[in-house]
Amino acid sequence: MTTNATSAPPTYMTAKGFTLTAGFWMTVATFMGLLGATELIAPDLTENIGWVVFGRVRPIHVNLVLFGFVTPGLLAAAFYYLPRILRTELFSEMLGVVTVVLWNLVLIGVVVTLAAGYTQGREYAEMIWPVDMGVVLIFSLVLINFLMTVVRRKEPMLYVSVWYACAGIVLTATTFSLGNVIWRPDTGALVGIPDAILLWFYGHNVFGLLLTPLAAGVAYYVIPRACKTPLYSHTLSLLGFWSLIVVYTHIGTHHLLQVPVPTWLKVISIVDSVAMVIPVMAFLINIWYTAKGRLGEIHNDIGAKFVFTGTIMYFFVSIQGSIMALPQVQRITHFNNWVVAHAHVGVLGFAGMISLGGLYYILPRITNKPLFSRFLADFQYWMILIGVVGFTVVLTIAGLIQGNAWYNGETIYRVLPEIHMYYITRASIGLLVFSSAVLGLYNIIRTLYFNPGEKLS
Amino acid sequence: MKMTPVAVVLGSLLILGAIVFMVVYVPYATYDETPSEIFRERTAEEAAGRKLYIANGCVYCHSQSIRTIDWGMGAERIAQAGDYVQDQPILLGSQRTGVDLSQEGGEHPDDWHMAHFINPRYTRPLSIMPAFAYLGDDLEILTRYVQGLGFKQADRRMDRQRYWKKEAIRAYEAGVEANARWLNIDIVPEGWRNIPNPYPTTAAGLARGRKIYQDFCLGCHGPVGDGMGPAQPWIYPPPYNFTILKNRTISGGILYYHIMNGITGSAMPYFKRELESQKIWEVGNFVAVYFINQSDANAAPRGIDSAWEP
Repeated sequence: MTTNATSAPPTYMTAKGFTLTAGFWMTVATFMGLLGATELIAPDLTENIGWVVFGRVRPIHVNLVLFGFVTPGLLAAAFYYLPRILRTELFSEMLGVVTVVLWNLVLIGVVVTLAAGYTQGREYAEMIWPVDMGVVLIFSLVLINFLMTVVRRKEPMLYVSVWYACAGIVLTATTFSLGNVIWRPDTGALVGIPDAILLWFYGHNVFGLLLTPLAAGVAYYVIPRACKTPLYSHTLSLLGFWSLIVVYTHIGTHHLLQVPVPTWLKVISIVDSVAMVIPVMAFLINIWYTAKGRLGEIHNDIGAKFVFTGTIMYFFVSIQGSIMALPQVQRITHFNNWVVAHAHVGVLGFAGMISLGGLYYILPRITNKPLFSRFLADFQYWMILIGVVGFTVVLTIAGLIQGNAWYNGETIYRVLPEIHMYYITRASIGLLVFSSAVLGLYNIIRTLYFNPGEKLS
Repeated sequence: MKMTPVAVVLGSLLILGAIVFMVVYVPYATYDETPSEIFRERTAEEAAGRKLYIANGCVYCHSQSIRTIDWGMGAERIAQAGDYVQDQPILLGSQRTGVDLSQEGGEHPDDWHMAHFINPRYTRPLSIMPAFAYLGDDLEILTRYVQGLGFKQADRRMDRQRYWKKEAIRAYEAGVEANARWLNIDIVPEGWRNIPNPYPTTAAGLARGRKIYQDFCLGCHGPVGDGMGPAQPWIYPPPYNFTILKNRTISGGILYYHIMNGITGSAMPYFKRELESQKIWEVGNFVAVYFINQSDANAAPRGIDSAWEP
């Protein structure tokens, strides 16, 4: 997979732009998380500052993590690996750079509108209509660039990473429009119970059809490359890809098992949640067997190390997710911090780790210089690993306390002091993760622009 | 299988289309829009308040979805699909950092909500809810929305609140004597008035009572029990001053009854969901000993000593 010798060397402007985007917005997103966590232990710290009230900070945190940090990071890697896998140039670096600029404008729009209280009030679909339009536009621009690059490819075979990158963007552009009810600009919502069903169909697909495919695409590229070995199985790639799209899209209603929605729909969501084992294990077996006996190679590349750790987190979050979809389990786990722990394993542990892994894998290759500091990247790796495990332990304990107390007749107010200590620990871990984001941004900027390292051959 | 761009893009979209039809469109098309028996249309003010509820992200901590397994606020009525037929968007919520609000309407009078919105710790010392004083005049509109939650059931509770608010104000404005008589004789069933506090006033029991007082009562009744807690400026009739009650034959039973049942119409909530019997008796003892300076703890008439008594 070498670039065509007759053309100018690629500039990777788009990949660099998305790298910076992810690095920068990770600091903002994690700061918002830290701020929200702090407000839960000291609610009067920001007393009467409306635009940072907890109810506005939380959606800013969630949306920035999803669309500001994780997705741009995964896209940076995709904009690097697509031309290489397809043995061609990116269709248009110019279009890519325009996309990056628009992407950042949309993110500023997200922060400003949500902080000012302009929201549709639907989890993961908070953005108001003009911002929704911006999101659809930037996803469409990415799609054009991806598909045109595919069309102009010189490599006849499509590698699995290409399937995931293209499908992830196509399906997200579609489900985002659907889930945000963009044909009703004033409310962005349906009425009554169908609104909840559509919302959670879409909400869960942010993970299922955006973060997971893009992260899988990066893992399918980085792990075989780092291990210098072919992928273990083409058949498993096919199974994992198609079963992901079939199964993941069925499960959104497992968020509504305790709500009056049709029972048959609940049954579908539970059965398919358990069936998620199929796409998850098809992907993981493929990746893990590719890496079998080559963990040393993975350890040598900080990018691959992040990515591989992300796949382990994917195992935990997915198995946990299947178990959490069981109604008996939800009696305890629903409505409390157990679910918040689950979300952090998934988005920071799995997709976030792979997003950072993709960045650190491509950075030396797009700058043709070593990372500014492997030590800082390693340090960030451990901060995030400790952070994710810490969030998981602390929030799971808090969730179990809440869920068991409520189920046995204790009121919410009485349980608040019982989880206070865990909220303090969680905020401390939030400080750790925010600090890691600042370190990461510094490392990225130094690597891209102020890198004293020697040129690689 | 050969993966072509067409297979990837169109194949994915076709699968997605089929599944959207099944798990989104079919439930949408077969949804029964019959309102439930408690349903009514929201007033214009309530609808405006709901917009404030959305704009300030209340939905991230408050669910509106009572389950079959719930015990807390609103748990007298399990949610039905017909409760949500005018909700666009629906606000079920996904977390309960605060209480479920499906049936919040009429649980408290308006003045309690005002004090609570100004700073939730004024009425609920352990609360971690943000202060919403920055909403200014909009707090009145937000209160209208909250007081309508539960629809017809909320309206019945609000009628009850308004009736007893008038009674409570009449008694308060009739003077200290008349108010004390109304509070401690007129509205307390005879049986309760005659029951002394069956828990002896031990140092340990008083320490427990003090903790309950700090966590539940202090915001209104204040650190010295004179009714001058931080919520006081917003509440009318104002929180009760316990220090005037000496020699007015305040039995443990009277205190228990009010703490358990609340005084509907006034800002005094009921605590029977949150505090078990021993906690209510012991906070009563704490109030009697420290603020009234007169306690009937463990006095006659009394039955057999409980096995745990020293």
